[in-house]
Amino acid sequence: MNTFFSAIGNLFKEPVTTKYPFEPTYKPDDYRGLIGFEESLCIWCRRCELACPPGAIVFSQDMEGKQTYHYNRAVCIYCGECVRACPKEGALFQTAEPAPCALKEENINNGWNQLFDEALDSREKFAAEKKRKAAEKAAADKAAAAAKKAAEEQAGTNNETSAG
Amino acid sequence: MGKQYEIPVGAQHISLLEPLHFRFTTENEKIVKTDANVFYVHRGIEQACCSKFKFRQVSFVVGRVCGLCSISHTTAYSQVAEKLLKIEIPRRAKYLRMLVIELDRIHSHLLCLSHVAENSGFEALFMKTMQYREFSMELLEAVCGNRIQYDFSIVGGVTRDLKPEVADMILKRLDHFMPQLEELIGIYKNNWTLSLKNKGVGRISKEDAMRLNVVGPFARAAGLAVDVRNETEDLLPWKEVGYEMITDTAGDVHARNMVRLREIEVSIRIIRNVIAGLPESDLVTETKAFPEGEATVRLEAPRGELFYYAKGNKTQVLERLKIKAPTFSNVAGMVHAFTNNEYASAPAIIASYDPCLSCTAR
Repeated sequence: MNTFFSAIGNLFKEPVTTKYPFEPTYKPDDYRGLIGFEESLCIWCRRCELACPPGAIVFSQDMEGKQTYHYNRAVCIYCGECVRACPKEGALFQTAEPAPCALKEENINNGWNQLFDEALDSREKFAAEKKRKAAEKAAADKAAAAAKKAAEEQAGTNNETSAG
Repeated sequence: MGKQYEIPVGAQHISLLEPLHFRFTTENEKIVKTDANVFYVHRGIEQACCSKFKFRQVSFVVGRVCGLCSISHTTAYSQVAEKLLKIEIPRRAKYLRMLVIELDRIHSHLLCLSHVAENSGFEALFMKTMQYREFSMELLEAVCGNRIQYDFSIVGGVTRDLKPEVADMILKRLDHFMPQLEELIGIYKNNWTLSLKNKGVGRISKEDAMRLNVVGPFARAAGLAVDVRNETEDLLPWKEVGYEMITDTAGDVHARNMVRLREIEVSIRIIRNVIAGLPESDLVTETKAFPEGEATVRLEAPRGELFYYAKGNKTQVLERLKIKAPTFSNVAGMVHAFTNNEYASAPAIIASYDPCLSCTAR
């Protein structure tokens, strides 16, 4: 009987759910949201990329050696592991802002996979280029040293001949 | 002996939350034999943990094994990794882990109860239980920053501290929830409609429960006093914070409901004690070591004993990780407890097992 009266009473109660689009839902201040990046503070150590469990952060590198930070909010799991791995305070931080939905135009899955591979490629290319330049420089140095030595030897023999 | 019929239920069925297949052999309305297939959601997580991910990242991967007991999986993995690294975590981190595990237990038990009510044909009670459950989700969001998949435990400690205002909020919400819990206990205990579908249904005896190695609330409802919180003290100090074993003797769906409801009371007491006695210390023990050797860990998830085995070989990637989820241990008992019940009671019985197939199949 008690149940019956409470059921009748419930008819005149307000709904317990939040009227979501018109009222905000509950969100704590330290909600785990998007990862922010401050380029001026970054020391380009790539520790966040190594720490990230799903691989949502990747750095690409151009031929001059300048690195660029790429972040995919659809791959990110918002665990904050990158922020904990970051040795420089403030370069990476977690905001309380939820991720916006991805649109079709963004091509967020295939585009990201392509970007990821390209970024790794670009780093490899830079490393190869660096190695090639270093080898070239070493070869040039060696050649210069050899030339110098030869010149010195030449000078020595000249002296000898002139002395003789 | 009458004519026998075979009735398949699942893998997709209106009363099932997750892909689970039962094949009931019935005689008139009585179930005489049951076969179960629980491996529909195999995702190869164990293999991924041993090949693709580094050992520090694995705690986030295993958190995705199951949505409901995410914190149990992360904590169990963190503990097993800490054993391999041979480190002791700070005391505050242990207390915070217990806090989140118990909050998680409240929300998981209330979800199970609501589904028992729904599958017994009591839709209004389902909605009421889900309405009362919302507070635990918001508390988890306030503590961990996310409603599900908390990512709270990491190898060596926990990720976030408990802020004083969040602690106040937890205590206030728990005070608000206590009369609601009493109301729920009253309904689940005394409601006549619900008792028709729950009392004496899906019964398992203590001897059978022991023989079939049943764990969790399923076993405790049959009178078998098994709880990892009662057995281990080395990793998380459960007895310090007021843990108490809850058992029942009937072993039917009603007894399981009552065990779950009374366990929520124990969880609330543990949460209050944890907040009152939260020790001051760091949150994480830092180490640069690599996992080496073998270790096992047992932890009481909401559904029962969760078992983790890991083997490390001094590299970033583990050599082997084995997860045994509580539902896997319960499959034999689940199949057994259907026998001699009406086929119409099967949905309520399935819900009362609280099966978690994502955990089982991994």
